[in-house]
Amino acid sequence: MIWDQIWMVIWTLLKIVAIVLPLIIVVAYLTYAERRVIGFMQGRMGPNRVGLFGFKLWGLAQPFADTVKLLLKEIIFPANANKFLFLMAPVITLATAFAAWAVVPFADGLVLADINAGLVYILAMTSLGVYGVIIAGWASNSKYALLGALRSAAQIVSYEIAMGFALVGVLIAAGSLNLTTIVHAQSGGIFSWFFIPLLPLFVIYFISGVAETNRAPFDVAEGESEIVAGFHVEYSGAAFALFFLGEYANMIMISSLTAIMFMGGWYSPFSGDSWIAQPSILWFFMKTGFFLLLYLWFRATFPRYRYDQIMRLGWKIFIPICIAWIMVVATVKVYRPDWIGG
Amino acid sequence: MKIFRYLKSLTLAELLKGMTVTGKYFFKRKFTIRYPEEKTPKSDRFRGLHALRRYDNGEERCIACKLCEAVCPALAISIDSEMREDGSRRTTKYEIDLFKCIYCGFCEESCPVDSIVLTDIHEFHFEGKDKNVLDKQQLLAIGDMREKDVATARKNDAEYR
Amino acid sequence: MIEYLISAEFYQIMLFWLYSTILIGAALAVVTMRNSIYSALFLILCFFSAAALWMLLEAEFLALTLVLVYVGAVMVLFLFVIMMLDIKIKPKSGMSNYTKVGLLVALLMGIEMVMLLGKKLVGVLPQDDLVKHVQGHSNVKEVATSLYMKYTLPFELASVVLLVAIIAAILLTLRRRDDYNIVNPESQVHVKAKDRMRVVKMDAERGNYIGGEE
Repeated sequence: MIWDQIWMVIWTLLKIVAIVLPLIIVVAYLTYAERRVIGFMQGRMGPNRVGLFGFKLWGLAQPFADTVKLLLKEIIFPANANKFLFLMAPVITLATAFAAWAVVPFADGLVLADINAGLVYILAMTSLGVYGVIIAGWASNSKYALLGALRSAAQIVSYEIAMGFALVGVLIAAGSLNLTTIVHAQSGGIFSWFFIPLLPLFVIYFISGVAETNRAPFDVAEGESEIVAGFHVEYSGAAFALFFLGEYANMIMISSLTAIMFMGGWYSPFSGDSWIAQPSILWFFMKTGFFLLLYLWFRATFPRYRYDQIMRLGWKIFIPICIAWIMVVATVKVYRPDWIGG
Repeated sequence: MKIFRYLKSLTLAELLKGMTVTGKYFFKRKFTIRYPEEKTPKSDRFRGLHALRRYDNGEERCIACKLCEAVCPALAISIDSEMREDGSRRTTKYEIDLFKCIYCGFCEESCPVDSIVLTDIHEFHFEGKDKNVLDKQQLLAIGDMREKDVATARKNDAEYR
Repeated sequence: MIEYLISAEFYQIMLFWLYSTILIGAALAVVTMRNSIYSALFLILCFFSAAALWMLLEAEFLALTLVLVYVGAVMVLFLFVIMMLDIKIKPKSGMSNYTKVGLLVALLMGIEMVMLLGKKLVGVLPQDDLVKHVQGHSNVKEVATSLYMKYTLPFELASVVLLVAIIAAILLTLRRRDDYNIVNPESQVHVKAKDRMRVVKMDAERGNYIGGEE
């Protein structure tokens, strides 16, 4: 009895570690992939030096070198900064970025907490990430940081609405808030995935996701050219590393959610009985990887949006299209329920 | 037509066009030179670290005429001279401050005996804060070390001088 | 004894006491803090603890909605406003008249609430300490049925009232200003190269045009 419960606690902790550790490693290699991919797209090589034991290994040890460098650096507190909040901000960013992973189903049944309101939980957690940014901006006691924080807050709050509406379309189509059920509703080859009937919502969700994570071309919160580095301008060392980790964990989060909501999660694009048509966690990873590549591709391609253009895009284009398409989906769901989410 | 414009922007056509360009560049050949392993060819006129040359018989070329000291725009060269036992005028001190030097090559041009030259060495560093001044012995040593390269480079470039 | 200490009920009760203590403490901090940023942050903590309590009541949908709406959106805007204002932290002063009146009102309200609710709740509250549902009970469905089937009309009315309020708020703040150069991004994104620039084709010039002769 008592051992059962202790074992359950340890087992859950082990599961959490099994999610978080690979996530951190993926984040590390995402930074490497980002530099390599953007380098290649700009006709450069990217980091290809740092290796292990004298072998260069195409620079694969670069993320570890960066991590060690960041951890060894001093954390500098700005004058009159609120030390507690200054240190709490990156922790909040990281915690919310990791907490959302609790309900992500990697494969059929492979999920930490299979809760009914999984979609709402994800929305709640991703909306909390903005606090890290706001508190960092305010606690830094720096005008650039505050400006970056305010920009970021306004942007995230705006795009959350478009994102939420896009997910409303998904939950109408799937008829459930549970992520596993949403994926189950997309079984049966590439043509049953939601990105076909919900194409506008799919595009809007992913673009809003890019805006939500403050990535290029929506990275006015950082805005190197006008507000230096935005909300984390005063951060250095390990605290900065945590922000970095949180931002990239959020990117992976959005990518995997797009894969789950619109691209059939762990289902294979092929239908039939052959080995390639089997649902597998590898399909999930491949889809997530594709969206991560899109993130990097966007950054290599598009110049930064201006602030009023970001707001116009969010409020005047995405939200109306979302509402219109939700109407379409709801109508179809009522009168032709077999068309979507069979 | 306004409606076509809206439809066009809704298809994200222009964004996709941009992404095709970057996508193409992803697979293009990279022209980056991986520096320590690969190097760009250097011109014969490359102006790098200084050296003092000798004649083939081992006699140092410098006759302490101090033309280089006079022409140096950065006042990087300082020379002291004295009479040697055989009666010829030779330098007792020939120093170049590498922090002052702007690598203009005027010293080389002014030298009547082709003694001071700028070699093609450009990868050098100092390991102390007073090591920036090269003295005569060091300069001669560099000259001995690179004599062959310097001689070929001067020969190749001779007809354009 | 050991059996009870490791049981789920005991754990839930401990969590209840933990979260309610944090909730009350944070609520007190909201009104006593001198720095309004701290007050706002403590209010966020309040919402969190309340959400956790709802979670204990197995109302996970409502709890998550509370976090999503109040913490994720409303409090962000609150913080936004507070950070934009330059608020001076007032030095500590003794009990002002406001505090005295406030305490009086609070006392009256407390008495009223005890009188009103105390009687009602005795009969309504379930005898069991904690609400329990069968496995697989869908909270979402329950909320949906009560909102869209049981109380459809009041719910729709409330949303219409809110919509009117939104439109009114926008109308109140919407004004056109002519005294500064605002650029309409709408018209900007549709600009094509040929709207702004004229490409002139002409033959390359020949001869010396200093003398002007061909």
